[in-house]
Amino acid sequence: MKKSNRKGLWRGLTSATCFTLSLSMVLGNVLEANAGTIDTYLGTTSEVFVSENTTDNPLYNKFTPPAELLNADGTGNSNALISAAIDLNRREVGEGSVLLKNENNALPLDSGSNVTLLGIRSHSNLLGSSFGVKAQGPYISLEQALSQNRTDFANTIAWSVGSRGAAPAATISEWKGDEFDFEGAGFNLNPTMIDIYEKLGETYIHYENEPAAEVYNPGEPSVDEIAGVNASYKDSFAQYGDAAIVVIARPSCEQVDYLPGGVAEGLDFENGEPLSLTKNERDAIELAKEASDKVIVIISSSASVEIGSLKNDPDVDAILWIGAPGCYGMLGVADILSGRVSPSGGLFDIFTAYNMSAPAMQNMGKMYYTNTEEVITRSGGVLGFTPGAYTIEAESIYVGYRYYETRYYDAVAGKGNATDPTGAYGSTTEWNYDNEVTYSFGYGLSYTDFTYEFAGEPQFNISVDSETGAPSAFATFNVKVTNVGNVAGKTPVQIYGQAPYIAGGVEKSAIQLLNFEKTGLIEPGQSEVVSVVVDLQYIASYDETYDNGDGTNGAYIMDPGSYYFSVGNGAHDALNHIMAAQGMDASKMSGTGNADQAYKKDINEDFISLTMFSVSKTGYKISNQLPYADWNYYQPGEVTYLTRSDWAGTFPKTYDALTLTNEQLIKNLNGQTYELKTDDDTSDILWGVDNGIKFHEMFGVAYDDPKWDKLLDQMTLEEAMYIFTFGGPSIPGVESIGTVETYMIENAGNGVAVSLNATKDPDAPWAIPATDPNSNWHPEVFANAPIGASTFSPELMYELGEFTGIESLFTGINILWGPGLNTHRHAYNGRNGEYYSEDPVLSGVAAMEFAIGALDYGLVAAPKHFAFNDQESERGGVSPYMTEQRAREIELRAYQLAFEATKYDTEDYDAGMRGLMTSFSKIGSIECTTSEGLMTEILINEWGFIGYAVTDIYDDVDLWSAVLNAGTTCFDTRGQSGFYSTTTLESSSLFRNLIEGKGLSANFIDGDRNLQLKLKDAVHKNIYAWSVSHLMNRYNSTTRVESRMTWWRGAYYGAIGVSAVVMVASAAMYILSSKGKKEEEV
Amino acid sequence: MNTKKRAIGFYLSALAAVLGAAGVVFTVLGNNASPDNALGNISTLILAGVVGVLLAVVASAASVSLGNHNIVSAVSVLGSIALYAYLFGSSVGQRVTLIAGLFSFNAGNVAGWQVFRMSIVAWVCLIVAMVVLVVSSFVKSVKVAQSA
Repeated sequence: MKKSNRKGLWRGLTSATCFTLSLSMVLGNVLEANAGTIDTYLGTTSEVFVSENTTDNPLYNKFTPPAELLNADGTGNSNALISAAIDLNRREVGEGSVLLKNENNALPLDSGSNVTLLGIRSHSNLLGSSFGVKAQGPYISLEQALSQNRTDFANTIAWSVGSRGAAPAATISEWKGDEFDFEGAGFNLNPTMIDIYEKLGETYIHYENEPAAEVYNPGEPSVDEIAGVNASYKDSFAQYGDAAIVVIARPSCEQVDYLPGGVAEGLDFENGEPLSLTKNERDAIELAKEASDKVIVIISSSASVEIGSLKNDPDVDAILWIGAPGCYGMLGVADILSGRVSPSGGLFDIFTAYNMSAPAMQNMGKMYYTNTEEVITRSGGVLGFTPGAYTIEAESIYVGYRYYETRYYDAVAGKGNATDPTGAYGSTTEWNYDNEVTYSFGYGLSYTDFTYEFAGEPQFNISVDSETGAPSAFATFNVKVTNVGNVAGKTPVQIYGQAPYIAGGVEKSAIQLLNFEKTGLIEPGQSEVVSVVVDLQYIASYDETYDNGDGTNGAYIMDPGSYYFSVGNGAHDALNHIMAAQGMDASKMSGTGNADQAYKKDINEDFISLTMFSVSKTGYKISNQLPYADWNYYQPGEVTYLTRSDWAGTFPKTYDALTLTNEQLIKNLNGQTYELKTDDDTSDILWGVDNGIKFHEMFGVAYDDPKWDKLLDQMTLEEAMYIFTFGGPSIPGVESIGTVETYMIENAGNGVAVSLNATKDPDAPWAIPATDPNSNWHPEVFANAPIGASTFSPELMYELGEFTGIESLFTGINILWGPGLNTHRHAYNGRNGEYYSEDPVLSGVAAMEFAIGALDYGLVAAPKHFAFNDQESERGGVSPYMTEQRAREIELRAYQLAFEATKYDTEDYDAGMRGLMTSFSKIGSIECTTSEGLMTEILINEWGFIGYAVTDIYDDVDLWSAVLNAGTTCFDTRGQSGFYSTTTLESSSLFRNLIEGKGLSANFIDGDRNLQLKLKDAVHKNIYAWSVSHLMNRYNSTTRVESRMTWWRGAYYGAIGVSAVVMVASAAMYILSSKGKKEEEV
Repeated sequence: MNTKKRAIGFYLSALAAVLGAAGVVFTVLGNNASPDNALGNISTLILAGVVGVLLAVVASAASVSLGNHNIVSAVSVLGSIALYAYLFGSSVGQRVTLIAGLFSFNAGNVAGWQVFRMSIVAWVCLIVAMVVLVVSSFVKSVKVAQSA
């Protein structure tokens, strides 16, 4: 080889290895900075907790999975875990599905029935949300559940497609694990239609997890297209004509809403709206009538679907709502269809004839201030939110059934011009309940019949703490439920209430759910007495004009008068019983009422004083904390809120072109709510003191124990800033108190979003090893939130929380960002599948039971989003404006119920949910994360919240100081890890552009006394939440983190090593080859 | 007397300089597209990129005066690769959270997608520039003709 060529070779090799060395080093840095997230997605473990199990400091003894999920040697039994999940999902859907119509003895079907399934969603089922509450992994399809008795997980893996054109993907790559036997419905299914839909699925592609869409197309083939596949398909109907089941689906997911009129062209939606049926869907139902005399329609949705025409169609015999049932929930559907289980669910939302008739729909979607560009200077942040979005929630407290039932009551009573056609969609001449509503909130049928009667007088327990003034007011209703039918069944026992309304006074719903329980399985002819405890603070009303006499306004008041309580099959039934008891004109009522199912209690100042509930359960004086929630607070008179004293005159108009004129309002919107101090004297605030306490000693230490103060004083200011700044999933270590960096948090509301083989705690005795054939099982398998709500079973809700807690032990996650706890303000919120209901008590009980159940296994549930995340459209920057009454009684009540968790309080223990995630949205003009009224006054002072309060992902990172000031305890900084090295306060890209005009640093609050004290409090809350979780299983005095070699770490280490060696060698050879004769020729 | 004609290596080094410059330009464009997603050390990154471009130019020019595979060109290429890699890696590291969001929960971030597009162009330019520099190291930059 010529000398010049050798030189070139060595020089080239030197350059090539310089390239690989440089890239390996810089990309290795990137990998290490995101190690936690990479581990989750790749199933690797780059850093592990190491603790030595000693007699003095035993590990894994604080929270353990139940014995039936473990092998005899204490190792995890994946088969048992999956079996238990299958069983729970089955029961969840079996009890949460709602039978809305059942005529002509349509259901149940006999075993061995020959059934035709119609509608493409009967073949391509909707199981979950493509983003949010996704059904992950292998599943049991409807066809399998109805006709088979063994899973085929290897060939039935759920897929998901994202919104906005994201590519579809299988939720897991393959399944080589166990298959499971189950008892299916035992039907024989029409194979011709199955084959046709399989073929049509090449054109009408559907996935088990799908999103909503702003221009929606349900993707249902036409009858002609069916015939195009097989022209003689109708010949199969004769053989499979025992029943025809049509499945209609409407998906739900994060990020995108349905919009008014948002329908794909040419599909002839019945009401021109996305939640009404298309022509092809209606034709599928007509086809069902040809296939069988018995037509059953299944609705798979997370919101009200407009099925009024089906209700009134005499040829549609049965309607069953099944939510998005999760991976195994079709077994529950099969149980219902076959009669193995009598349905017992109640609707989570009112189903209206026209969803657009809801007053909330008059202000829904994307609305922007007219002068955003001129006055809004705050940008959309790292997430690129659109500034200037808002929505006026002019419907006041009349959300969902509260509107329809109250207007109905007033219509019968002849008050408030309730029958005026303003706001009516079913008629141009009058507002009539039957025209507007299809099925009531809480309504559901069974295969048997029940009677409900109050067993004796309710017991009232009323007291006030003499020291604090904190009220305690409960009424226990004992309801005797008798099964007067022929089939065993369960039924919800729903207690509703009505407070006396004074026209022109504070708004009150004519009916509201106060609490519920569920019976056990009652045999025909048998009875059960169910006790339902009602917290009477929830029948009080928030009057924001009430003068407290101390310079403040706003209080919960109990107007003296006649209060009514009733038990009914849903809100409408319960209201009718009250109306019957009040002697209202039965001829004007929709349905009948039974006065015996209502109870009247006259309440006066001696029994419960007007202002008894003006003090919270913590003894804190209540007053207005969210005045800026109301648009009129800054720009008076511009918005009219709905009042039942004048339905027609105040029915909401659409406020889609408001202009910002008030200076303070503009300042709030620009995030200028906190002024950072730089020269306070902070010398008396203790940091870095050596008190010799370690984190592992804090298990079981009460939140207000002084030992916490001593522990917190040990931390340095910088360490505390790390804990506040980086709130998960990876949390920084704190050397001074002996904690280590840990990936400890994940989503979601329907199971923990970490596969078994990606557990963050591989050293747990029960950790499923990678060699286990079931190791890639994904725990996110349960149904969407409305199903859980519709069970109306606190016991089942608790069990769902417990099981998620068990999952968290197997996956090493000790804090859960879930479940979803926002309100179904209307049916068009694309994310309704992640939230329980339009009713705060139903939602709050579901969340409370889940959270307390989860804590049994050391999982801290942090439901989201606190608060007012009422739509996905412009969710990031949107300002929802509302009255404070609306905020408290509707939006916040669900959280209040779960945080107070009075049901689980004991003499020595104040139970409660120990976590939350704040909302992207604002409340009025103030970010929820920075609202002291919300995060401190209401959440902490009124409700006594102690726990982890994290922002939504990367939210309001520019308002670091205001977020800390308000009482939020940390930021969601998903992806950030390698703290103190690759990720620091200064280097994190998230915190470089703070509103103060500079980036974050360890010295940022050196001169701000208030923030230093708030920081201590925030860190106290965070670490307390860790201390009640199963993170404590892994901690003792020997705890440390050790790096482990993963394949990706090995790859870049190897690349660096090999590149460096070869580069040096090549460079040496290049230099050697450069000596000698000069280059001579070409 | 020997005279030198430019060979492919010369042009490759020059191309690498142009690509590197493009990488710097698109990095700056991405940085400026969204102030909330500005790179934390943009001045340092620009400096690194510019020096990298200059070194690529030096590598190209030195070959004319000093001949093929001369030490100045060799070291300049190494320096240029290292600086391009630093620019690339540093901006990738700061874009990970943005990109992860764009492909999941934050798909509607219009400004973010613009930053992403600019960044992708910048990264492609830088990677190709580095590969081109590697190739240029193997081949001759000048053809030496000997005359009587």
